[in-house]
Amino acid sequence: MSKSDLMRLNTDMRVNRIADEVWEIPASEKPGMLVPARVYATRTILQSMDRGVFDQVTNVACLPGIQRYALCMPDGHWGYGFPIGGVAAFDARAGVISPGGVGYDVNCGMRLIRTGLSLTDVQPRLERLMTELFRRVPAGVGAAGAVRLDRSELTRVMLKGARWCVEHGYGWHQDLSRIEEGGCISGADPSTVSDQAVGRGINQLGTLGSGNHYLEIQVASNERIFDAGTATALGITGQDQIVVMVHCGSRGFGHQIASDYLKIFEKAMRRYNITVKDQQLACAPFRSPEGQDYFSAMNCAANMAFANRQVITHSVREAFAAVFATSAEELGMELVYDVAHNIAKVERYAEGELLVHRKGATRAFGPSSAGLAPEFRQTGQPVICGGSMETGSYLLVGTDRAVQETFGSTMHGSGRTMSRTQAKKQVRGEQLQQLMKERGIMVKAVSMSGLAEEAGFAYKNISDVVETVEGAGITRKVAELRPIGNIKG
Amino acid sequence: MSHAFRFLDNIAIADIAFEAEGDSAEEVFVGATRALLEVLANPITIADSWQHQVLKTEEHLDDLLIEWLSEIVYWKDAAGVVFRDAPLTLHYENGQWTIQATLIGAPVDGGRQELRNDVKGITKHRYRMERNGSIWKVTVVVDV
Repeated sequence: MSKSDLMRLNTDMRVNRIADEVWEIPASEKPGMLVPARVYATRTILQSMDRGVFDQVTNVACLPGIQRYALCMPDGHWGYGFPIGGVAAFDARAGVISPGGVGYDVNCGMRLIRTGLSLTDVQPRLERLMTELFRRVPAGVGAAGAVRLDRSELTRVMLKGARWCVEHGYGWHQDLSRIEEGGCISGADPSTVSDQAVGRGINQLGTLGSGNHYLEIQVASNERIFDAGTATALGITGQDQIVVMVHCGSRGFGHQIASDYLKIFEKAMRRYNITVKDQQLACAPFRSPEGQDYFSAMNCAANMAFANRQVITHSVREAFAAVFATSAEELGMELVYDVAHNIAKVERYAEGELLVHRKGATRAFGPSSAGLAPEFRQTGQPVICGGSMETGSYLLVGTDRAVQETFGSTMHGSGRTMSRTQAKKQVRGEQLQQLMKERGIMVKAVSMSGLAEEAGFAYKNISDVVETVEGAGITRKVAELRPIGNIKG
Repeated sequence: MSHAFRFLDNIAIADIAFEAEGDSAEEVFVGATRALLEVLANPITIADSWQHQVLKTEEHLDDLLIEWLSEIVYWKDAAGVVFRDAPLTLHYENGQWTIQATLIGAPVDGGRQELRNDVKGITKHRYRMERNGSIWKVTVVVDV
């Protein structure tokens, strides 16, 4: 970039333009960088990114065994250790695994459920539907789920994920092929999970949480469908079709696992002679006992998250069935897809077997990728990106170019630009709720202050972020989904 | 003896940060504890029907504060409670710091309580405890 452009970025490091939506910080810009860092962004988005993005993505580029580039997606912002929007792949034999590269909320992710209902069907019953959803899907501080587990049953959830739910009547068999990894990641070992994590997770199955997590009723309109063929293949028909989006993860269970292993890794790093630029990048060799234990525990949390979203789906189906006095099957409430955006997975690329960390980044496999369910081999893997509660969300699909360029990864949402404290200073929850109602979005929230923190102005414009990844060719737009009802913790 | 806390802008864009200070190690613990309880719920709206005793020991004071705050988060999830107060005392003996505290609160009840953020954990991002003369200060970022 020219010097004047550089002055407008929140970094003093040199940032080279590779393409309109791809920028590179050379490995020479920070001592210890093993590979360059690449940021996917338009010029405008790049200029709006906080200093943490540049500092953190270049810190990640220093971690042992990193391959090709440390990446950050256009919804990137400062995170703990890795930036949110960060993607990094490590040699599975000689590289590291880092809880900071997965995120505290292991397998936080998105799920989209379609219906055969239209806006005309739902609008007259929206208030009742929202009340029913709010009643059936526990949200907010300390909320307990309707599914009661004992320790041995929670162990089975850790091993089986969404499969456990389907076996126990909380889902349909066909749901499983529409979940990343079939809703059940192998390699989970409950013996690597602490008693504290179990204590926190045992009552949380089927709960939404708070913060930026939500359950949203949305509309897919004809004019917001960008690829009718792919949309139809995924069951999105337009014509003001009602869909439901769920954003949540592994709750306190996953967070406790991340915290537990950060402590273990801080000590292990001394033993393995690893130094990191930020304490929250604590890591261990993937093949070490500590690395393998964390991977096994993380997989338990990933399965817990798949199960959590599956139980929520069951509650959503029950709520719709109650309000419309028919079955969820009759209402056509099929899963479109469920995808993680906080996870580490072993995948095969040109370099060989790599451990790909995605933190606030979504897998975006193209049609040619092995391992996709047959129904996605024409379309590519669905990618679900949530916007702020005041704006739209998007259904995208992955591309083969993503597999080649970004370890099969893309954006996950819009990304915050304003702190929670600042947002609360600008609007009160009750005021925001009323303003949104006037704009046709009904909101039910456990916490009014939490609602104010999630105001749309605290986020980037998701459409700008989506245009960036489409322009870069790492995902394709299928449909924009407009909110009409939002439930928050 | 006195303590204070304030919430910080722009330390953690997606989460919540606060700074607590006190005129003793014990008072900075009280300030940080009050801040965390305020993040979870408005304490004055919480009853006192649930209590739990906590005893924790660590070599370093900063490790002890993280462990203590994490314990509050643990009981929020494990017992499904929010908190009205958490009176505590701090002792130093034989090279170890010990906190003795009582968590006081009530089961979550959105109808009666002003609930706020579901804190998932206490992070070590920019975490530091400092003593400047007689004033102790700590910055804490909590993940929500």
